[in-house]
Amino acid sequence: MDLEKPDLCTLSAETGTNGPRLTLNGGACGACDSVHFPITEFGCPTCGAAPDRVSPHALSGAATLLSFATIHTRLSPLITPPCVVGEAEVAHGIIEEVMLVGDESLYADGMAIRAVGVPVTRGEAEMMAVRFEPAED
Amino acid sequence: MTVLKDLRPVYVVGVGMHRYQFASDTNYIHMGLTALRGALTGAGLEFPQIESAFVGCTGIGMAAGRIMFNHIGSTGLAVTQCENASASGSSAFQLACLEVASGRREVSLALGVDKYGDQVRAINKEGINRLSDTAPIPLVRYALLAEYLKKEKGLKPEDLAMVASKNHTNGAKNAYAQFQKARTVEDVLNAKPIMGDFTSPMCTPRGEGAAAAIVCSEDALKDLGITGEPIRVLSSTLQSERPQVGREMGSVAVARAVAEKTYEEAGITAKDLDVVELHDAFAIEELLYVETFGLCPTGEGHFWIRSGAAEINGECAVNTSGGLLAQGHPLGPTGIGQVHEIVLQLRGQAGPRQHDGAKTGMAHMIGLGSISIAHVLRKD
Repeated sequence: MDLEKPDLCTLSAETGTNGPRLTLNGGACGACDSVHFPITEFGCPTCGAAPDRVSPHALSGAATLLSFATIHTRLSPLITPPCVVGEAEVAHGIIEEVMLVGDESLYADGMAIRAVGVPVTRGEAEMMAVRFEPAED
Repeated sequence: MTVLKDLRPVYVVGVGMHRYQFASDTNYIHMGLTALRGALTGAGLEFPQIESAFVGCTGIGMAAGRIMFNHIGSTGLAVTQCENASASGSSAFQLACLEVASGRREVSLALGVDKYGDQVRAINKEGINRLSDTAPIPLVRYALLAEYLKKEKGLKPEDLAMVASKNHTNGAKNAYAQFQKARTVEDVLNAKPIMGDFTSPMCTPRGEGAAAAIVCSEDALKDLGITGEPIRVLSSTLQSERPQVGREMGSVAVARAVAEKTYEEAGITAKDLDVVELHDAFAIEELLYVETFGLCPTGEGHFWIRSGAAEINGECAVNTSGGLLAQGHPLGPTGIGQVHEIVLQLRGQAGPRQHDGAKTGMAHMIGLGSISIAHVLRKD
């Protein structure tokens, strides 16, 4: 099954509760030594260095959940409410909005979460979407 | 850097609006010209006396302003269309003010007009995916921020509902508001749930409409027989956000920076403000911005709102128009609609929502991206 967003994540050999674990495709800047996510074709978003100064830098997919809430209405055709969305620190100082597996009762502020691939249907195709789940097994 | 106060004085002399409303088959030209004619009548000017126009518009298409002006007389005026997301109207107003302040023109027009539905977001053409499918939706970020603040500051759903209730109740007294129905805190809490503690009246509606403001120089005031009471524009400040530091969203940080800068440019402090129109696309924003604008001490926004300080005839009336929550947020016009409200308040013409003795006001907007823009106006 193809990854829905292969520019953002990479399949790892490990397996989580809800699917294969994913690493995140970050970038490391050779000019300013900063790490960013995601890596893009445009260069370093921190110092503006050209793309050839940026190297791929895998983030582990482990993150800290900062806050979360349930979406009750269909804000986007890509979601099926109710679903839980949160903010997570995916690397030091890098805060990203993430989609969480399951319902609110599974989560608490400050808990460890991790990226996993979860099947979703997009049109006729089934793909593996990046979601986050509790890291404690 | 040269700021507005260093240049020629600029005055708003006419304002007009077409009511904000849900998407309809109303032609944008009808809406735009309704607002324009209201502003011309209020100023005591004829359209040929307008030397330049800046048209805030996000969703109608190229040359919307120029096409519209074909229907009120092609006078050869300079026309520039201005898109800056939700702050398009505010930016059009800034450009009109600078046009007059610099001495380039004596009379300039800022006009915002928009229809809902055709907006194309550049972020969708960035070519970069995000982890969350809802990442481009501002509501989600603000709902998550509200969740964080609920635990950090002890915010309650009732605090969000209190903001929405106040602004919807103000909107009920505003003939131009999209929503004109007073709502109690209980009404707001019991409305359709959207995300987290957010219910639908805590979120701005989508819509369409128009607003116009005519600005001019002191020479124009003397020479053109202008009858509209002049309201001085003291400052005009625009910045874009920097990378997020900690939990404070970049849009909130830039809102603070712009408020501080615009006070400095205007030569005022937050204590001088009698009325403020601010970007309450979501109720949580008003709770944040009353703090970041210095209207109350940091961390006490919800206590300040609970005390009634932000109500009409309170300490500083916030969103007397109903704000984005009730007056509405048709994007292109929104910032000029804020100026419309401030001008009415400073002239003492706001009718049932008049804040007594209002002399100084601020219109403050946020645009997607994020950018922040503010204008301070004063009755001399």
